[in-house]
Amino acid sequence: MPTTIPNETDIIVGIPSFNNARTIGHVVRAAVAGLQKYFPQFRSVIINSDGGSTDSTREVVLNTPAEDAGILFLPTPLFPLHRLSMPYHGIPGKGSAFRMIFRMAQQMRARGCVLLDADLRSVTPEWIDMLLRPVLFGRYDFVAPYYRRHKYDGTITNSIVYPLTRALYGKRVRQPIGGDFGVSMRLVERYLKRDDWETDVARYGIDIWMTTIALAEGYQVCQSFLGAKIHDAKDPGADLSAMLQQVVGSVFTLMREYADTWQRVQGSQDVEIFGFRFEVGLEPVPVNVRRMLNHFEQACHDLKDVWALALRPGTLSEILKLRPSAAEASPQFHIPDELWARTIYEFAQASRERGVERGQLLRSLTPLYMARVASFVLETESVNSADVEEKIESLCLTFENLKPYLTELWTGKAAAAAQPAGTPATEKLEVKPHD
Amino acid sequence: MIEAMRYILQGTVDRLKAQAVTYLPSILASIIILAVAWVIAILVRFLVMRLFRGAAIDRFLKTSGLNAVTGGVFSLGATRLAAAVGYWAVLIAGILTALSTLNSSLIAKLTEQAVLLMPKLITAGVIVLGGLWLGQYLSRSALIWACNQRLPSAHNLAGLVRIAVVFLAVVVAADHLDFARGVFLSAFVICLAGIVLAISLSVGLGRHEMLDWFSRRESRPEEPGREWSLWNHL
Repeated sequence: MPTTIPNETDIIVGIPSFNNARTIGHVVRAAVAGLQKYFPQFRSVIINSDGGSTDSTREVVLNTPAEDAGILFLPTPLFPLHRLSMPYHGIPGKGSAFRMIFRMAQQMRARGCVLLDADLRSVTPEWIDMLLRPVLFGRYDFVAPYYRRHKYDGTITNSIVYPLTRALYGKRVRQPIGGDFGVSMRLVERYLKRDDWETDVARYGIDIWMTTIALAEGYQVCQSFLGAKIHDAKDPGADLSAMLQQVVGSVFTLMREYADTWQRVQGSQDVEIFGFRFEVGLEPVPVNVRRMLNHFEQACHDLKDVWALALRPGTLSEILKLRPSAAEASPQFHIPDELWARTIYEFAQASRERGVERGQLLRSLTPLYMARVASFVLETESVNSADVEEKIESLCLTFENLKPYLTELWTGKAAAAAQPAGTPATEKLEVKPHD
Repeated sequence: MIEAMRYILQGTVDRLKAQAVTYLPSILASIIILAVAWVIAILVRFLVMRLFRGAAIDRFLKTSGLNAVTGGVFSLGATRLAAAVGYWAVLIAGILTALSTLNSSLIAKLTEQAVLLMPKLITAGVIVLGGLWLGQYLSRSALIWACNQRLPSAHNLAGLVRIAVVFLAVVVAADHLDFARGVFLSAFVICLAGIVLAISLSVGLGRHEMLDWFSRRESRPEEPGREWSLWNHL
């Protein structure tokens, strides 16, 4: 495989990596086979943007043999397929890796770009086709993934990012932080023009940042069914609260930028899904409810003063009332959808105010999120995946129904009546959100 | 005899009269200056109370943690505090001006020292306030971190961080004022050494308990199954 940098290309497959020697070979093989099988008439480059791996990630990318053409009945490509592996510079993180891939795509005047995580174990050549075809042959600028996932998988997506993004921008993109995307050059150029790459976007905020810009700025968005999503067991190099801060912080930051846009949106619409949908066997995700509830119970004691800086008195008191059942790890422990939606909206509003340190506020959300996950797990223990989807749908509708409450908080109309619990107020009023 | 007494008395009265003529205008002037300063101070207090009532300053102090960190010093409200600061600043300025009219070398020296000390006092005050704010900020960060790591006694850890930072600020302020420099520095060094010793002893003596606690935390027998991968959250 040639490793020189071509001047021009049609397709870029970008793979950000950091110490993924164990799995990146499989991803590269899938990408090579996908490009040869579905796009043999196009010039293609696979770019590995590496964050300074100390294992042999980069060597694996360059030396992994392509899939035997005979096995997959691959056509002979018209052009040689290039593979590049280079380190990116700047803040270490997935976002910085994407930035380098986008810059190279722009430099090589590519027509479309596919982005794949380096630690995927379930990626197949078909993913390349599903993520790229709508960009190259359709009118789409952004192709989001649509996976089958275990009911306890993707909990930040299911409990915060999907319901919030859907309520804000009115589009039902089921996996807004899926991590594997197809992007048109028009949108790549828009991304590169922005000046917020050095923020949380440089890390785990990149996925929701890309999706939100595509939705809020009116780019053509669709989804492609990819089957199951299975990651390598190795954890990413971050802790949960940092990850949550980066992802949710990016959503909240973009809410400020696109406030005029989302305030005009009511309800939500389906987003087209391409691909033949089928059921897949999913790896069970182990959960430890008691541990999550212990975390929440401890936080009710330790963090209530911090929560009081964000939450309204009524919301805070409702949350603190859950403490006894959390302490007992009671199966009846339950955070209602409406309370959860209000909590997220109030945190979103609080994170834009000066005076409260944003990072601290977002990190203090972690135990609340754990409590919500525990509540969800208890609620769906004996429920099949279709019913779980219904529950998520119900949560999304609650977010949509409560959107006027968010707008009131945001525009300050609810400020007089609903100051945060930690704010000195002449009179503390319990706020009832609008139905 | 009577003449002599009359002469002495006359002399005393003349001296008093002369002194009164010399000093009375200055004293009267200083009393008038004091009175005016007092009236201005009351006016300033009134205006500040009116201007800041319900303003964002109360909220800022609350959200920045300055209110809580001072253990209730600001609990009466920032408005009253600002009003009191304004009132006393004007009154002290008035007293200094009034004293300077008396033309006494001692008073002049005192006034000069007070004026010279004022910037240092203000700087020291700012250092202490900055320390209070930083202490609150860092202790809140420590609290959230400890809670998210599910460490026991998160509040104690946060309190320790706050005390350490505030104490450091006080040492720096005292050093700046040249006030009991040796005492504060010694106390700081002793405390630091004490903390290091305490940590060393606790690690040394309690290593078995600590290892036990960590191992229980990692694999609790009553809680089968490990926490899921971070990827499962996204």
